[in-house]
Amino acid sequence: MTRVSEHVGIERKPKLGGGGPGKIPHHRSYGGGDDGDHGQPDDFLSAQDRLRRYRIGMVVTIIALSTFFAGLTVAYFLRLSVTHWDYDLRRSMRDWRPLALPYTRLFINTLMLLVSSISLELARRGLLAKSEFATMGIAPPRFKVELPWLGITVILGFAFLAGQIMVWNILRQQGIYFSSNTRSGFFYLLTGSHAVHLAGGLLALLWSLLAGSVRMRYESRQIAVTVTAWYWHFMGVLWVFIFALMHFSRG
Amino acid sequence: MQNSAPITIQTSGQNFLRRYIFSTDHKTVGLQYFFLSLTAVLVGMALSLLMRIHIVWPKAALPFLGAIKPENYLAYLTMHGTLMVFFVLSTAPQSGFGNYFLPLQLGTSEMAFPWLNMAAFWITLFSFLVLMAAFFVPGGASLAGWTQYPPLSAIAAAGPGQGRGTDLWLLSIGLFCLASVLGAVNFIMTTLKRRAPGMTLMRMPLPCWAWFVTAVLILLAFSVLLAAAIMLLLDRNAGTSFFVPSGLVVSGAAVDHHGGSPLLWQHLFWFFGHPEVYIAILPGMGMTSHLLSIFSRKPVFGYKAMVGATLGIGALGFSVWGHHMFVSGMSPYAGFAFSTLTTAIAVPSAVKTFNWLGTLWRGRIQFTVPLLFSIGFVSLFISGGLTGPMLAQPALDVYLHDTYFVVAHFHLIMAMAGMFAIFSATYFWFPKMFGRMMSQRLGALHFWITFLGAYAIFMPMHLLGIGGNPRRYSELTGVQYVAAMVPLHKFITVAAIVTIAGQFLFLVNFFWSMFKGAPAGDNPWQCTTLEWRLSSPPPRHGFGDAVPVVKHGPYEYGTPGFSNRAADDFLMQDATANP
Repeated sequence: MTRVSEHVGIERKPKLGGGGPGKIPHHRSYGGGDDGDHGQPDDFLSAQDRLRRYRIGMVVTIIALSTFFAGLTVAYFLRLSVTHWDYDLRRSMRDWRPLALPYTRLFINTLMLLVSSISLELARRGLLAKSEFATMGIAPPRFKVELPWLGITVILGFAFLAGQIMVWNILRQQGIYFSSNTRSGFFYLLTGSHAVHLAGGLLALLWSLLAGSVRMRYESRQIAVTVTAWYWHFMGVLWVFIFALMHFSRG
Repeated sequence: MQNSAPITIQTSGQNFLRRYIFSTDHKTVGLQYFFLSLTAVLVGMALSLLMRIHIVWPKAALPFLGAIKPENYLAYLTMHGTLMVFFVLSTAPQSGFGNYFLPLQLGTSEMAFPWLNMAAFWITLFSFLVLMAAFFVPGGASLAGWTQYPPLSAIAAAGPGQGRGTDLWLLSIGLFCLASVLGAVNFIMTTLKRRAPGMTLMRMPLPCWAWFVTAVLILLAFSVLLAAAIMLLLDRNAGTSFFVPSGLVVSGAAVDHHGGSPLLWQHLFWFFGHPEVYIAILPGMGMTSHLLSIFSRKPVFGYKAMVGATLGIGALGFSVWGHHMFVSGMSPYAGFAFSTLTTAIAVPSAVKTFNWLGTLWRGRIQFTVPLLFSIGFVSLFISGGLTGPMLAQPALDVYLHDTYFVVAHFHLIMAMAGMFAIFSATYFWFPKMFGRMMSQRLGALHFWITFLGAYAIFMPMHLLGIGGNPRRYSELTGVQYVAAMVPLHKFITVAAIVTIAGQFLFLVNFFWSMFKGAPAGDNPWQCTTLEWRLSSPPPRHGFGDAVPVVKHGPYEYGTPGFSNRAADDFLMQDATANP
């Protein structure tokens, strides 16, 4: 696949001229974090600049999400080490029972999520390739590249969520509920939070898929798909992390 | 100044609802946050008044409320803390003034994500309403304090407010976390991506630095609180045992949870809670630096050191949460580490204090009301701050923990200093927000009542704390050594009543000036930053097409003759200097 970004060209601003208070900076220095819109409303921004802005916004959001899941992980490890004194048995007890995870189902889900990441990446690159037409003012052909890949991603995303619900059902059939044990509680909490966040990404994908056929500017769709792709890859990494946490630190 | 004709763009085709209610305009959103905080602070202040009255006259029957029961006292205490910390100190300086003035000071006309901004406000408002609803559910509001320590907060049978009231509290705070994180993403993106040409990072006014660092703190801290709140909600409603220990007996009945750790909540909560203190105070610090420079007509002393200290406080703030938990049973090594790191925060704080005094030193000081409140901020920051290193010593903290000494400490440094920063910002930016000046005479009177009142209320509390008066006790009768302190409590209550009465001066001044104040003009305080380029109040689209090009740092004061007009002793950030 050709790298179109070379043609589109991200114009690099000159480096910051330094300054600090009271210093008159070099004449050529541009300074400012403005992405070239000079205070104009969104409609007049170039697509590249908007894309860059939303991408950094997504990175900041991912930092916040990482903190959320890091908090849960720290709680997991702390809770793992908590013991209490049992007066009847006269020894320290740990309330942490083993949990038989349905590995087959989980591996299938993992595979589906990782494949969906690949298909979304293909969709993102397809849209990027066609963005060259948009910058030249040519209306790009509508659903030539991205529709199959986006569609596959959405289907795989729903399949993953369905698979997670099946995993929870399998556990419930074994009589393992949210409140059964702290380990099962953490399992439901972590996988549940992940599923909720993934559902958010799925909504964004559905929106860019459907809105694209209604009245959405091509560039906006490209931005939506790109940003969601970054989010989706993060969700994939997060899922592998949660799975590894559940597998390797069983207590 | 030259080229200062304000740009006005007519807003057409926007109905009332889009313009004033569901507005994506950062100025409207900022004002909405401001008035939300004003509502919250009035409720919180009324609750503190009820508490003060109950402490000294426990049997007094009040109109509409009757006699206050001990559980009511605890509910008021919880709601007072929650409202003040979340909806006032975290909301007004950051979301209120930050939303209004961050884009303007950076020379842009809109936040990076206007829709996200509007969504964040409406979630915050909803969260406020959910919190207020807790007063009206059976059992009333939560009793567990704004820190919501389990197991008290985890078991519905633990008290009248521990049922629906606590659920609502957790739901409200969860929503508040979500809204704050959305707002923080917006602030970070605006600072990074929407500065005017020439506005390098080191040319940003110090409030912008403070808002930026605060947004980073919010991003990291509130996400953790959200995780903790979800876990506590699950403990309460889904039967999990993250925080509830084994063998717990509440109200004579064994609790069906096992193996959880209340300490886990304390760690998660204070990992949020300590940065939260800086979330509340950092914008105030930025404001103070800004105003001291403007009204001394001098550049800020040590701009780079100020930026460094802001970053340093933000970074250190994440490594000291354990000093809230010295009495929870902590390894002495961990206690030592937390104690050392906490004491280390005194270094950037001292840098700031020194620079504030250095800014004032030999300035041509104009004693305007905003400056009075800024000096009050410095005073309260020092008085409240000096007890910080004391409480950071585990050996001392074991004695002083959960006494009025701690109440005095955090009210002086966080609540009072934070309020003084909010007041100074209000008096300072009121002309820009509403186009009219506030009355300086009433403002000065308001300042002296509040300043003396703050010290009269909170200084004696140090003595109460050293005398061993515990926090959160609704009545002092019955215990002899505590009963002996009632006269001092009476003094505090009287001081509180006078101070609260003095706040009506502010309200009267605020609303009267909004309609009847003297017209302000574009730049009444003769400032250099970009928001004073615009008309007062600023037009809907801010700078519009006339994007300012920044050529100078933000604090070019006190050198007459370097602008085209000889009378000016300041140089606007986008003005051309005289060769």
